[in-house]
Amino acid sequence: MFSRLLTPTAVAHAHCDIPCGIYDPTAAKVAADTVAKMVEKISALQPSATDFTTRGNFVRMITVKEEHAQICKKELEILWSDYFKPEHLEKFPKLHDTFWKAAKLCSKNKQNVDAAAAAELQAAVKEISDMFYATKK
Amino acid sequence: MRRGPWRVAVAGHSMEPALREGDWLLVLPPRGRPRVGEVVVLRDPRDAKHLLLKRVAAVGDGAVTVMGDRRDHSTDSRYFGDVPVTDIVGRAAFRYAPLGRAGRVRS
Repeated sequence: MFSRLLTPTAVAHAHCDIPCGIYDPTAAKVAADTVAKMVEKISALQPSATDFTTRGNFVRMITVKEEHAQICKKELEILWSDYFKPEHLEKFPKLHDTFWKAAKLCSKNKQNVDAAAAAELQAAVKEISDMFYATKK
Repeated sequence: MRRGPWRVAVAGHSMEPALREGDWLLVLPPRGRPRVGEVVVLRDPRDAKHLLLKRVAAVGDGAVTVMGDRRDHSTDSRYFGDVPVTDIVGRAAFRYAPLGRAGRVRS
């Protein structure tokens, strides 16, 4: 009876929506698409060109490619560690493996200018995105 | 609106380190115009059945800006805007549990 006098009658939320609800694989997709687009544009540059405009473009594209490979990894890690739950793992036994490989592909794309690796990353992100939307049905 | 003191349990982490999840607080009714720095209980502007716990960061004309102490882990006026003063339903006055951390809730 004494405890009833002490127990709160309401809950007040000192809350944060951001780490507890808003998840979307679109950010990872945009980042992976950006990496692929930069690889395409870098590959189209004339390697022998030494004018400053071409050099400037080259440096800029490399920077954007590397930044977006890193963004992609971060976005995937948020989905992996925060969004997906044990029950999703039961439904998708390959979940951990898919994320692990996708994260490694982010690093590979950061280090290289490789159209095949960029396409693999896009495919991996699509696979994760498909799993994500399947959990929403 | 409650007239006397009442008790709430804290959920969430946006008011750390001042208030932690699971703290039990004594809440007093609002006294006229809220003061900057006090911790208030307010109705969530997006869902009136839901109560929030935030600190008053600024007081305007009939509205207050509320913020969580942990700026990187708080959904507050930066997100839902200023809140009408009438949505404030109490002010956190005292923590009575856990006993080891019992004491006044500081402004």
